[in-house]
Amino acid sequence: MVEIAVLLKQVPDTNAKIVVVNGRVDESAIASWVTSPYDEYAFEAALQHTEAAGGSITAITLGPARADKVLKDAAALGVTKLVRIWQDDWQDLDSNQVQSALANAVTAAGADLVYCGKQSADRNQGSTGPGIAEILGAACITEVSESDSAGSYLRPTASGSERVTVSSPAVVTFTKTQNELRRPNVRGIMMAKRAQIEVVGGDVSASQVNFNGHSSPAQKPPGKTYEGSDSVPEVVGLLRDEAKVL
Amino acid sequence: MEITIIAETQGDNLHPVTSQLVGAATSLGASPTVLCAGGAGADAAAGIAGVGKVLSVVGDCFSTFDGGAWAAAFDAAAGTGIIIGAASAQGRDVVARIAARRSIPVVQDVVAISQGLTMTHPIYSGKAMQEVTVGGDCAVTLRSNTFPPAGDGGSAESATVQQSGDVKIAVQEAIAKASARLDVSDADIIISGGRGMGSPDNFEHLYALSDKLGAAVGASRAAVDTWDEIPHSMQVGQTGKTVNPSLYIAVGISGAIQHLAGMRTSKYIVAINKDPEAPIFKVADYGIVSTWEEALPILGDEIAKIL
Amino acid sequence: MVYEALDFYDLDSQLTDEEIMVRDMVRGWVDAEVLPKIEKACSEGVFPDEWRVALGEMGVLGAPLEGYGCPGLSYVAYGVICRELERGDSGLRSFASVQGSLAMYPIWDFGSEEQKQKYLPGMASGDLIGCFGLTEPDYGSNPGDMITKAEDKGDHFLLNGAKMWITNGTISDLAVVWAKLDGVIRGFIVETGDEGYSAPEMTGKYSLKASVTSELVFQDCKIPKDRILPGVKGLKGPFSCLNNARFGISWGALGAAQACFSSAKEYSLSRIQFDHPIASYQLVQNKLAWMLREITKGQLLAFELGRKKDNGSWIPEHISLAKMNNVDIALEIAREARDIHGANGILDEYCIMRHMANLESVKTYEGTHDIHNLILGRHITGIQSFTRSL
Ligand SMILES: Cc1cc2nc3c(=O)[nH]c(=O)nc-3n(C[C@H](O)[C@H](O)[C@H](O)COP(=O)(O)OP(=O)(O)OC[C@H]3O[C@@H](n4cnc5c(N)ncnc54)[C@H](O)[C@@H]3O)c2cc1C
Ligand SMILES: Cc1cc2nc3c(=O)[nH]c(=O)nc-3n(C[C@H](O)[C@H](O)[C@H](O)COP(=O)(O)OP(=O)(O)OC[C@H]3O[C@@H](n4cnc5c(N)ncnc54)[C@H](O)[C@@H]3O)c2cc1C
Repeated sequence: MVEIAVLLKQVPDTNAKIVVVNGRVDESAIASWVTSPYDEYAFEAALQHTEAAGGSITAITLGPARADKVLKDAAALGVTKLVRIWQDDWQDLDSNQVQSALANAVTAAGADLVYCGKQSADRNQGSTGPGIAEILGAACITEVSESDSAGSYLRPTASGSERVTVSSPAVVTFTKTQNELRRPNVRGIMMAKRAQIEVVGGDVSASQVNFNGHSSPAQKPPGKTYEGSDSVPEVVGLLRDEAKVL
Repeated sequence: MEITIIAETQGDNLHPVTSQLVGAATSLGASPTVLCAGGAGADAAAGIAGVGKVLSVVGDCFSTFDGGAWAAAFDAAAGTGIIIGAASAQGRDVVARIAARRSIPVVQDVVAISQGLTMTHPIYSGKAMQEVTVGGDCAVTLRSNTFPPAGDGGSAESATVQQSGDVKIAVQEAIAKASARLDVSDADIIISGGRGMGSPDNFEHLYALSDKLGAAVGASRAAVDTWDEIPHSMQVGQTGKTVNPSLYIAVGISGAIQHLAGMRTSKYIVAINKDPEAPIFKVADYGIVSTWEEALPILGDEIAKIL
Repeated sequence: MVYEALDFYDLDSQLTDEEIMVRDMVRGWVDAEVLPKIEKACSEGVFPDEWRVALGEMGVLGAPLEGYGCPGLSYVAYGVICRELERGDSGLRSFASVQGSLAMYPIWDFGSEEQKQKYLPGMASGDLIGCFGLTEPDYGSNPGDMITKAEDKGDHFLLNGAKMWITNGTISDLAVVWAKLDGVIRGFIVETGDEGYSAPEMTGKYSLKASVTSELVFQDCKIPKDRILPGVKGLKGPFSCLNNARFGISWGALGAAQACFSSAKEYSLSRIQFDHPIASYQLVQNKLAWMLREITKGQLLAFELGRKKDNGSWIPEHISLAKMNNVDIALEIAREARDIHGANGILDEYCIMRHMANLESVKTYEGTHDIHNLILGRHITGIQSFTRSL
């Protein structure tokens, strides 16, 4: 039997165009909101884990009312314990505030394991899993690409990967796994309709970070064509210094 | 300003990104203390210009990676102020945990930093940037190849401290890099070959390069249709996969509309083609008019130099 | 290529959370399981059995029906399901329409309690396939004059006649057949294996190739007495079914149109002629703007009709208008999209030609375009013009 808390964040569809208006990403221009993709892999791993080992899942999100959708999506796949943390200035919470709000919810859920994505598709930070682990006094395994119900996890190393085990409590952050993400069915969706979402306050201390603003990334310079293979070193230099993709 | 750097190590060696972390710290006017996990790379770190002090943090916990244990050891060894690490998987984990231990904020994957402390980091996978300021202590990870490295020629004093933490993660089995190739839909860098590669055997050159870059190898449909060795799962385009990597390198691909349909939203596109009129150059950010036979070996060498 | 669902007036924001979840479920399934396989299914002329299984597992068959294992979704949700299925292929949507609206619905509305319990749960789960036999070789738009007849033989009915153009026929476990008993149209349930019943497949279609179309042949076909639908007499029976199916088509056709629009937009932006993307030329923009206009109008019709179905304020003529209009514009949009794609537009690697060919059937079945004109004409004038005898 295992109690798993799954952290699900609602983010703009990864195909969405991100537009900055008056120093802030214009969220009203985003038509479609989805569960952050790595979180979906974490959720699937949790479903498989509880199916094999018994136990249950609590799905936790932090966000405005629209984020109920990610919990309902989880409910459609059978999760009955759904918690949304609501904090007025949720967009500008700093890392400590987010982590402590989520850690409180994890503790309240009585979870032995926390499964989440290695980073969210909006903030891309990757602090949440390790930070919560620290607060809970738990181990954290990051960027896991394979897991089983016996509690062993595959994580990357410089020379390949390694299979590790951990005693609970533990936090596991997932990257993409080989698991196919399951689709709900109408029966599940109708169950989700009746699902109760518990809304709790974040109860966090003051932010230590000042938000200055969003901006659009620097425009790409127009494409250029170079003659001959002698130009390769120059192009590699530009890929590193100008494009910053190497 | 007191700055402590968590050295990025690779086995027993110092990872070159550590010089970049030092470069960023010195640009803020600090002469940072560098912490080396288990003493790895301590000598090299002492030789980086601008480093104030090198501390080898030595303890049992450093034989395997456990972010919680490492963070506990580093936290005990580091002074107050600003903690800087690399935005690698391990760096992000350890630095986030040190921040949580100290109840100070953490800002990851920073690409610009200035006094104040004002930092910029990409959000939405680079579709926008966020700028924040932290008045007090904080923990930061820096994106690699973004900050100019500090030079060498330093001669900082070195010391060793004994610190460890509780290891809760047990390694059961190490698995060498699988030969199974990355799928194009999962890769952040893709190198694709077309009919211009001449034969399927020549794709070996692309595989060799992809191994260096951690990239996936893709193909045009002409390559898939012509050669049985190139499976359809590699095909990029209208009737293949739609990809969206940071870097797409098209080699010997003309750039037909159906190929472009699958890759034109790549962040950066490099084309290597011997025909200067090839349409692929219209979408390429960096086009190289050359045969691949000439260009690829140089490309391999240059990439090996910077990684 | 990423499918961009055109929704210019953001009408989907009016959907409930559950309706959006249903939409995303079907859309995701179509992307993952239908689009990669549809061309093969068409070229082989088969309806892949795994699609039947998946539709049952998703639970979308008989979507708006309640009880007996059916989900009881809103009509708007049913419309959304049809739209998303037909974005994949009209043949796929046809399967679902026939199963849900033409075979399950009459049993649900006009069947006996025993019939409902016997058939509906299996049909909702996709384990039993149904078809609907109304059209005959000699009677299409004019089903009232059908020849197929049933005789009461005391302990059984005897059916004689033939139906044609019957979707799902050959792969069905049961057929809802409309036949005349003492001159009155009645519904009968015929099971595969019943004596004197066969359902040979019709071949040679250029349209709806991934859908099975069959003849139903009754030669002294003997069926038990409890197979008659007790609850309805006359043309009202089949027409009630058709109302629901036509409603689904009015949404479904938009799915096909949106698929063509999405492809045409993407193609025109990337196809360069005379040094510029063809999307930058006014003539092409005019075509795209026209598509957007017609799709948006069609969506408004479909949404409002959905609400009327849900609150009961609809009349059959509302459905005629939406079916007729939305299929008509979808077909025109497919044709314009084909034009924008140039020669590529005729290839099976783009969805265009397939949708276009499919929509030709959709224009004809479930009441031809012009029959709906006549229905509206009668509504406006009070004068029926289906036949000369006024
Ligand atoms: C409906 C449809 C769908 C399609 N779907 C796809 C798809 O999904 N993906 C796809 O890729 N294509 C697709 N195609 C095919 C597409 O139209 C092109 O035929 C195909 O992309 C061409 O592949 P290529 O660029 O490798 O070959 P070519 O067009 O033959 O180009 C080869 C290039 O290699 C260069 N070259 C030759 N020798 C060398 C050398 N030694 N060094 C450097 N350069 C050299 C040449 O200059 C030339 O530009 C589709 C076509 C249709 C009609
Ligand atoms: C792929 C496919 C699947 C089908 N599936 C089914 C099914 O599952 N079950 C089923 O029962 N049927 C099914 N049908 C049959 C379909 O409903 C009929 O084809 C349709 O009702 C038209 O009948 P018809 O083909 O005999 O054409 P006709 O009725 O002969 O019509 C031919 C033309 O004459 C016009 N016309 C007819 N009467 C008038 C009039 N009074 N005034 C002006 N114009 C008129 C029509 O508009 C049309 O243009 C299917 C058909 C197709 C193509």
